[in-house]
Amino acid sequence: MRVAYYKGCLASLSAKELDTSTKALAPKLGLELVELESVTCCGAGDIQQAEPDYYLHLNARILAYAEAEGCDTLLTICNVCTLNLRQANFQIQKDEALLERVNANLRSVGAPTYSGGIDVQHFLWLMSRGEGYEKLKEVAHHGLKGLKIAPFYGCQILRPSKLLGVDDPDKPHTLEAVITACGGEPIDYPAKIKCCGFPIIAAREELALSELIQPIEQAMEAGADAMVTPCPLCHLSLDAWQQKLSKQTGRTFDMPILHLSQLVGVAAGLTDSELKFKRHVVSMKPVLEKLDV
Amino acid sequence: MQVGLKVWRHETDTGKRALKEYEVDAPEEATLLDVLDIIKDKVDGSLSYRKSCRMMICGSCGMRMDGGAVLACKIRMYDFAQAGHVPVISPMGNLPVVKDLVVDMQPFWDKIRAVKPWLEPGYEGPQPGDKENIVSAGQMSTIHKESLCIQCGCCTSECNSMEANPDFLGPAALAKGMRFVGDARDNTKVERLEEYSEENGIWDCTRCYFCQERCPKGVDPRDAIAKLGAEAVKEGIDRNPGAKHAKWFVHSAKTTGWLRETELIPKTQGVINSLKDVKFAMTLAKHGKVPPPFPPHVAKDVKESRALHDIVKKQDVRGASGIVQGERALGRIEPHDDAYAAAAERGPYGPGSFPKPYLPGEKEGAETS
Repeated sequence: MRVAYYKGCLASLSAKELDTSTKALAPKLGLELVELESVTCCGAGDIQQAEPDYYLHLNARILAYAEAEGCDTLLTICNVCTLNLRQANFQIQKDEALLERVNANLRSVGAPTYSGGIDVQHFLWLMSRGEGYEKLKEVAHHGLKGLKIAPFYGCQILRPSKLLGVDDPDKPHTLEAVITACGGEPIDYPAKIKCCGFPIIAAREELALSELIQPIEQAMEAGADAMVTPCPLCHLSLDAWQQKLSKQTGRTFDMPILHLSQLVGVAAGLTDSELKFKRHVVSMKPVLEKLDV
Repeated sequence: MQVGLKVWRHETDTGKRALKEYEVDAPEEATLLDVLDIIKDKVDGSLSYRKSCRMMICGSCGMRMDGGAVLACKIRMYDFAQAGHVPVISPMGNLPVVKDLVVDMQPFWDKIRAVKPWLEPGYEGPQPGDKENIVSAGQMSTIHKESLCIQCGCCTSECNSMEANPDFLGPAALAKGMRFVGDARDNTKVERLEEYSEENGIWDCTRCYFCQERCPKGVDPRDAIAKLGAEAVKEGIDRNPGAKHAKWFVHSAKTTGWLRETELIPKTQGVINSLKDVKFAMTLAKHGKVPPPFPPHVAKDVKESRALHDIVKKQDVRGASGIVQGERALGRIEPHDDAYAAAAERGPYGPGSFPKPYLPGEKEGAETS
């Protein structure tokens, strides 16, 4: 399947490892990625909260560029991009007058216009269901050797479920399905659907940390070897800010955190240069040793 | 039909709590509240919960079903009975438990009061000779959803930010704030926005969207908070870290297209404050998490996104109206309402409790067995 690939800000910059592992993995799962060069940030919820009309136009422009490539699916690898794009997409797909105004504006700046033909899909959804899931089971033959993996969903791939709609927001199962298909053992813990605190980590670090500590603590207690998340923002706070939890509590926090594409990538036998674990703040060594990689 | 419930009972005097299972015969159309009434009538008169209207108007019967906040009078029990699922019923989170399913709503009302939930028209009543103040349907549509709030507390029960910080105003109070900020008859918009922009206000929301997911009335409190943010930025009330953070995204989008990550923290916290954290920044830099700001990572055709910003600004769909314009379309999406039926058993105090209700005499946030 040919899909437009929207990598978002973090995978372009501080989480390049997510981009390289996704690009290496996608063809194995039957996805041909079409890179979009002219697209911008989705606004991450911040622009929606500051200048919402600009947010709508930025996202419409991304959808328009995806459509201009002849694709009907826009692949996302970030929760926040997924919600922002899906929300904007619904807003213009289901309101002709609004779509018309947005298109007039896109036309006047020389961007392609949008006819409403794009479906925004997170990578997790494509690999955890239907044909993608069958491919995943074939591809993940290296396996995770029963490694205990704590799935961490984050917020904006579950809620508001009205706009996302794949997982049950209280009892999600897609990450568990992927972990199981890769030969890992999914760990259950209540905070897997809660917030990591990232959106306020720069402005209100203390508050964000008291949200961040819950999933990591619970995953540790449940005996997880590592955590996996479909969102690079969750990854950044879980991985990079974890050292601050150690400082704050005086206890050791060293839970390895994987991007979804890396977890599947390990099971699918991707190379070091594609996985780029060295870019993580918390060392991945204990996990790799258990796997004999 | 036979309906089962497991109810967390809590004795105020002794502090004892226990999960009690009940099974009763109820009519097929019975709601969760009806079943509780039958239990209280026929099995155990000491069971305590709040109720009044029984028709989703009064907002009294907020409680948790399988860990998620619901209005008891809205939930039909037929599917649960058919599936043989016995849901766990517990008090709402983020509020102190008084007895069984009754929580102390005082902290909730204090926050509602703090946002001044009344009109401030800015004059001393109508004077002789004054004309009628007509508010158009368009003006009222700005606050239509916020006006639907029945103050049941289901959103507040689940708020992740409030769990981390009990002083956070929270979704119900902020949505109430928006109801008055967006009211054309109110004359204190700027003052309101200044107050709501302070610490524990608009910008402390962490966008977990639990409020939006749980609200039984379609208020969409998270969207209301976004509207407040947009109104504050429109009015130039943007000197706090949260607003600065949001504005940096706008600036990034129109200059380079992609977020200028490395400059985000100094732009949010101020250069001096961010320098205090040099050691942390160095660790991140070592792992490539601090991309060099120069040369900036620039999207192709970024001039389009800059031009879009200029055009949008001229068209003046500013502040909350940028969100309101999309509400009609979003209202056409069919919600997935099978979430409750699929939820499995969760105890309110053990695993699955989120956020945990505070119990009397217990330190906030302390672990209980």
